[in-house]
Amino acid sequence: MHPREGWSEGGVRSGREPREDAVSRRQLLKAGAGLALGGMLAGCSSTNPAAGSGVPPLPRQDRPVKWPIYTDNKPIAAGMAPEEGATLQLYNWVAYINEAVIKSFCKKHNCKYSLTTYNTMEEALAKMASGKLKVDVFFPTVAVLGQLIAAKLIRPLNQSYIPNMANVWPDYRDPFYDQRSQYTTPYSIYTSGMAWRKDKVNLSPSWDMPWQGAKYSGKVAVLDDYRETISLALMRGGNFDLNTTNTPLIRAAGKSLQQLATLTNVRIDNNDYTDIPTGKAWIHHAWSGDMASSYQYLPKGTSIDTLGYWFPANRKGPVANDLMVNATGGANPVLAHKFINYMLDVDNALNNYSYVGYMQPLTEVTPARLTSEKLLPPQLASTVVLPDYFRRGLFQLELPPAADAVWESTWSSFSNGL
Amino acid sequence: MDRHDTYDKRNRRLWIGLAAPGAIWLLVLFVAPFYVMLSVAGGGINEFFQTVVPVWNPLHWSSFNFSAVWRDIVGAGAYLGPPALRTLLYTAIATAISLAVAYPVAYFVSRYAGERKGLFLVLLIAPFWVSYMMRMLAWIDLLQQGGFFNSALSFLGLPGNTDWLGGKSVTVIMGLVYGYIPYLILVLYAYLDRIDQRLLEAARDLGLSKWRTFWSVLIPLSKPAIIAGCFITALPMVGDYFTNQLLSAAPGTTMLGNAIEGQLDAPGQTGQGAVLALMLLVVLLIPMVYYVISTARASREMA
Repeated sequence: MHPREGWSEGGVRSGREPREDAVSRRQLLKAGAGLALGGMLAGCSSTNPAAGSGVPPLPRQDRPVKWPIYTDNKPIAAGMAPEEGATLQLYNWVAYINEAVIKSFCKKHNCKYSLTTYNTMEEALAKMASGKLKVDVFFPTVAVLGQLIAAKLIRPLNQSYIPNMANVWPDYRDPFYDQRSQYTTPYSIYTSGMAWRKDKVNLSPSWDMPWQGAKYSGKVAVLDDYRETISLALMRGGNFDLNTTNTPLIRAAGKSLQQLATLTNVRIDNNDYTDIPTGKAWIHHAWSGDMASSYQYLPKGTSIDTLGYWFPANRKGPVANDLMVNATGGANPVLAHKFINYMLDVDNALNNYSYVGYMQPLTEVTPARLTSEKLLPPQLASTVVLPDYFRRGLFQLELPPAADAVWESTWSSFSNGL
Repeated sequence: MDRHDTYDKRNRRLWIGLAAPGAIWLLVLFVAPFYVMLSVAGGGINEFFQTVVPVWNPLHWSSFNFSAVWRDIVGAGAYLGPPALRTLLYTAIATAISLAVAYPVAYFVSRYAGERKGLFLVLLIAPFWVSYMMRMLAWIDLLQQGGFFNSALSFLGLPGNTDWLGGKSVTVIMGLVYGYIPYLILVLYAYLDRIDQRLLEAARDLGLSKWRTFWSVLIPLSKPAIIAGCFITALPMVGDYFTNQLLSAAPGTTMLGNAIEGQLDAPGQTGQGAVLALMLLVVLLIPMVYYVISTARASREMA
């Protein structure tokens, strides 16, 4: 469940990556591993009622989690000097950070860096867990946070090194998935909405838009992501609990997708950022960060005015953010803190945005600022995420194993053309 | 006696030396990855991180992934039937079209190209100079509405505004034909080139029509090449996922390769992807064995 899944270095997305990093834990309970995990989390002073019951707490917007701090994995002491002659080890999604920003950081702190990339969160977790990868700064999704903390793969942050947290939206100082930001700072934030060609499609955007596209058969596409696309069908049916465990509801959403396939011969792909500008698709379920850079792929003679991105005005749509954390494997924790702080500086964040297209939730990063600095055409201002989206938007979070299995099998039936 | 022994030993060492690079190659790049795949299929997952844990000892292999795949084939939520059927259908049609196109081309090059044979061979190999992925990406531009393919159609007076990339089976089949036909042509050419021209002349001298010569002499003579060429093109088609992904991506054209790829990327389902890939391999072994037996029989008959 990540826009960067399946990217190659050149910024081209390849292959089919239908499932997400959020974990399918169907074997967890079966194997009794839940107990082991419960043990790992023992002593957790979580406000989540699920904690301590043998199942890891699943943070929700209305059920925030405060993660435990372990005695053998404490934050670093304050006031230390950064490591000298160090090589900062970064581990991020492919094409998800502007190396110019890293270079300027290294110039400032007289260090070298090494950027390693991954294509799926599963791949990243496997390599992190193997212990062979010694990483300082890691950029995980919210969904895997609990696993990273319980396995002590990441270290609590010492916020005294990160004064730029003051630049971040106030909500992110105490996010529901990591109360008091003990382990994380936000990285980028994005919404999932509807992208369309204003010159070709005469419909007003809504979650129902793809289903209304029968006359645009072959030109309608949904994201290749089981959570996003089943969520789309749920929202179309008026269900806004995107972490639902209600089997009939999930199945009904699947039926609705199968109906969409019949109506429009819908395609499943994550090339929203090229499909819409080139006209391969006219209606595309899309990620805001992808669409923010879509204008760069417009063929000559096609105006930016033809591109539209919609996210509902009532904010009842999917919102997601990535994280920056200090991994325990690396040898440069102080430098890692400094780097995280550096990325939360407004100018550096804008520099990063100019390459990535995915924005960071900083108070000064506003639609007006982005358009006035010519980082975003005003026509695509709707791709900018605003602070209240974090509160009112819908997060797609880790599911209990049994429910996740229902989501996955529903997706398999749809995506394999049943 | 002594001398004979050392000669034998030296000789054996020479052959071992010559066979070593190939054997090592096969071991490192085929047998080892294959064993890894088996170990993943029979392995488990790290319940905590949902990552694959290969089990190297065959005695400890579990059937979990195998039964999960079995449920996907015949169980209540089974979804592998339609992609399997589509794979079979697309491959059969694409192979038939390839053969219909490739045979005359190969025959022409082997019989009538004359001095330009080298040039034609280079042209036949030329597609391999560009990576498969790039060639498929090029088709996306060509097949667009307003692209060259549609323009060419309207130039010929045919309807030229078809949305070829809108999830059409015909586009996928065409992509498969385009992608793999050079293999078929090369195999056919290599064989047709060796058929003794005098046999065809004899058939004509003995009164067979051109048509009968083709059906009763040339086709039977080139049967091993036809079988071999069809296998060489059909086998990669069966496992192909990329053509489909680029040229269609609609659920209604999903093939087995896409289903496997989907599983490989799904957390906790990598093992099931491995099982599916192994099952596909076993199914493909059947025609392979048939091929080996039939060529062995053919060469015995020739001898």
